[in-house]
Amino acid sequence: MTFQELILALERFWAERGCLIGQPYGSEVGAGTFNPHTFLRSLGPEPWNVAYVEPSRRPTDGRYGDNPNRLQHFHQYQVILKPSPIDIQELYLDSLRAIGTDPLEHDIRFVEDDWESPTLGAWGLGWQVWLDGLEISQFTYFQQCGGIDCKPISGELTYGLERIAMYLQDVDDVYALDYGPGVKYGDVYKRAEWEWSTYNFEQADVALQQRLFDDYERQVHALLGLSAERGKGGALVFDRAPLERLVLPAYDCVIKCSHYFNVLDARGAISVTERQRFIGRVRQIARAVAESWYAQREALGFPLLRDDGGRAAAQ
Amino acid sequence: MTHELLIEIGVEELPASFLAQGLASLQAAVERLLGEARLTYERTRPLGTPRRLALVVYGLAEHQSNLDEVVTGPPYAAAFDPDGKPKRAAEGFAKKQGVEVSALTVVDTDKGRYVAAHRREAGAPAADVLPRLLGEAVANVRFPKSMRWAEGDLAFGRPIHWLLALLDDAVVPFTFGGLVASRHTRGHRFLAPAPFELRSAGAYVDALGAAHVVVDPAARRERMREALVAAAARLGGVLAPDAFLLDECAALVEEPFVVPGAFDEAFLGLPDGVVVSVMRDHQRYFAVRARDGGPLLPAYLNVVNTARAPETIARGNDRVLRARLADARFFVDEDKERLLESRLDKLDKVVFQSKLGTVGAKIRRIERLSGWVARRSAAEAAVDEGRARLAARLCKCDLETLVVFEFPELQGEMGRWYALAEGVDPEVADAIREHYQPQGVDDAPPRGVLGAVVSVADRADTLVGCFGIGLTPTGSADPFALRRAALGLIRVALEGPIDVDLRGVFGEAYDGYEGVALDERAGVLDALDAFVRGRLRALLRSDFPVDVIEACLGAWDGGSVRDLRARLDAVAAFRAEPAFESLAVAFKRAYNITQDAVRGEVDQALLEDGAERVLAERFADVRPSLAEAEAERRYADALGIVARELREPIDRFFDDVFVMVDDARVRDNRLRLLAGIADAVNRIAHVHQLGG
Repeated sequence: MTFQELILALERFWAERGCLIGQPYGSEVGAGTFNPHTFLRSLGPEPWNVAYVEPSRRPTDGRYGDNPNRLQHFHQYQVILKPSPIDIQELYLDSLRAIGTDPLEHDIRFVEDDWESPTLGAWGLGWQVWLDGLEISQFTYFQQCGGIDCKPISGELTYGLERIAMYLQDVDDVYALDYGPGVKYGDVYKRAEWEWSTYNFEQADVALQQRLFDDYERQVHALLGLSAERGKGGALVFDRAPLERLVLPAYDCVIKCSHYFNVLDARGAISVTERQRFIGRVRQIARAVAESWYAQREALGFPLLRDDGGRAAAQ
Repeated sequence: MTHELLIEIGVEELPASFLAQGLASLQAAVERLLGEARLTYERTRPLGTPRRLALVVYGLAEHQSNLDEVVTGPPYAAAFDPDGKPKRAAEGFAKKQGVEVSALTVVDTDKGRYVAAHRREAGAPAADVLPRLLGEAVANVRFPKSMRWAEGDLAFGRPIHWLLALLDDAVVPFTFGGLVASRHTRGHRFLAPAPFELRSAGAYVDALGAAHVVVDPAARRERMREALVAAAARLGGVLAPDAFLLDECAALVEEPFVVPGAFDEAFLGLPDGVVVSVMRDHQRYFAVRARDGGPLLPAYLNVVNTARAPETIARGNDRVLRARLADARFFVDEDKERLLESRLDKLDKVVFQSKLGTVGAKIRRIERLSGWVARRSAAEAAVDEGRARLAARLCKCDLETLVVFEFPELQGEMGRWYALAEGVDPEVADAIREHYQPQGVDDAPPRGVLGAVVSVADRADTLVGCFGIGLTPTGSADPFALRRAALGLIRVALEGPIDVDLRGVFGEAYDGYEGVALDERAGVLDALDAFVRGRLRALLRSDFPVDVIEACLGAWDGGSVRDLRARLDAVAAFRAEPAFESLAVAFKRAYNITQDAVRGEVDQALLEDGAERVLAERFADVRPSLAEAEAERRYADALGIVARELREPIDRFFDDVFVMVDDARVRDNRLRLLAGIADAVNRIAHVHQLGG
């Protein structure tokens, strides 16, 4: 099964189970969780079932294409089922069967692994799924997102596509994977790994990243009308009514900030104490976006809360 | 006739710690609720796997016991007014006890007249009481963390899938979170996935066994351990013991199987600790050694939940481990690119404590302090000050290595390994590892002198700094593990190669905090003295009677720990001698009578012939040897001198001589004589604190 066949099999599987097939987000993200299909849609009471590939960047994981297992740019397959169905584990195991992995012929285990994204103010409980000792998926019940308690709870399944493909193709080197007919993963991405590693670790302009971070952060404040004042208990104060806030562009700015922070981190330009402060700044604007999104959906009457579970709107 | 009750909560895979706490709280809740419901039982037995929490109650009564008890309430005067009309207190009490006010009675007690209620209630059948009781029990199950799922209305350790409750062979249809208990359970997730009906509570363990679930945690752990030992033997080695991993793996599977795997021998060039940590932390594999404590074999043992295709499983795990070990080798190689000492500047950027500065600053302090400790210890052990300072300088450098970042538990061990690889003096290298010792009650203090020196300096620096800024441990909060640090210091001196002068080392450590605003010196040192004495009391209690500890702590100056130890040994032995009783009585008298007396030299001219002069002369004779024995810490000798030379004269003195005579000059002279003796003895131990 080639890398692309693996993706196609998962797309088909989840489409057949009622998921929307979403698309990667058009911005630099660290994980599929950053995609609005997850971060924003897991907020509030509206149901949401979606599956998509997310090309994800973790600048500090770059190894210049030298390490057969580590990449600064890799692919997640992300599934959000909201509310989480009671048979979500069985659905997940069925998806493994759909990509040719019979649980009876392997050792599959659900090993505790709680998830937390300090920048997104999000956390959840769940597992990493082991297939013969290989961590192939993260399985999380979202408890909080953007600092807001989730209700209902979203079940998040995240497949590590490269790892699974390596397992299925029985290769030890990610670059030796068959991406599609006659084309190796290395043909597509090896040079990119070297270039991006060099950029992230050596050549990215620190002053520029720093400035971009500051500018985008300011933009979030402007787009949401986020006031410098705080209400009772540190509550955020907005100068604009929910429907006047530009939540989606503001959220893009949050994603940018998070990414520039990651690049600065890879460049070694952030000290231990500054690190916490940067994370706090991103968390703050992520929270502002989350609260605004929620307020906006509420103002719209939570459009997907309908008897058909939102299917009509989804189509 | 008694009954057997079974409750099972079917869940998604619980983490190991959740299983343990969940089961304990289920058991506690059921036992408490049964007690409150007056349902007697013989015993309970918790059972469980990652996918189920279960409890069996054996010998459960058919009915609740009948209630027949008299409950005493408020004083009569508070409950009824003088005309006998009930007040609020009477009404409230009656309501709480479930009786009419008119049914309240009066009881006379030693403390006066009280209102009482006679509660009587016929016991209901257990089957009627249990549905509510079990629902409440499940609501009382606790986990380290709870989560919500689906609609998010319910919180539990992991989502609940089914409830089962059987009283013998009858379903107890209790409800919780919208689920109703039935007789359906499930077997192994993969090997026996279909729900099935359980005939009776008594059939539980066997029925699950047939469905590939070993539901008794202890049995599962033992079966797993036996399989591991056998598998290690088949590989020609022995299982490397690891209690944590045994518990962890037993809680990760419902039916344990062991699948062995192998890795390339070339990885054995890595430090043992790295190979073991990679296998253990990342993959939960057991290591195999050639023999106990011997070299590692290039193999591992993997506990799995499903083993129909062991070769496939081994191939997959081998691949994962290969990549993990390759990563570790990369880290080790990277780390070796730089000398340990060159990492000191990075430690200048790591905060030790916000008010106390960086780890780099701490290292400079403990380097200086290690030099001081080394000089002070030179008499008893050959310590080279320069090497002690080098060991201190290097002791935390491995915190900046990739391997320790990845595996924090290898701190010290990696420092030693890298130091040896750089050609650092092996004793200095050993000190890097040993300065963390003792890490807990089961861990020994450093064996090497250098490790002991740095261990003392490191702990003294932490204690003084934290006490100096008011971070003293309170109740359960001890974030800097200061109790453990103090205990470690004491144990180095008691069991390790060098003595420790606690007061001296704390004072010196205080002076090392230049440029840091600590609280006033004497106050900090006094607080530490009291703190250390508290630790000593706790530590010594297993070896010495409390009065011996108090008598010696009273005489001890808070300095040398071994000096205290010498006093304890001498006093404990002295206390067991036949002469002890009468001596103790005499010295208690001498101590009590002279407590407020003015000290000074005895005027020979004022001494009365007979018992008084004999005592004075005998004391004058032995005084120098007593002082010498004390100065040389020969406390047994000192106490021997007291017993041999002074017992008889002092007994006679108290028999023959009246101290508190009217003549003030004679009286004060006698008090000076007794005070001199009492003080001399008090310098060894506060004998008056010894119980008879």
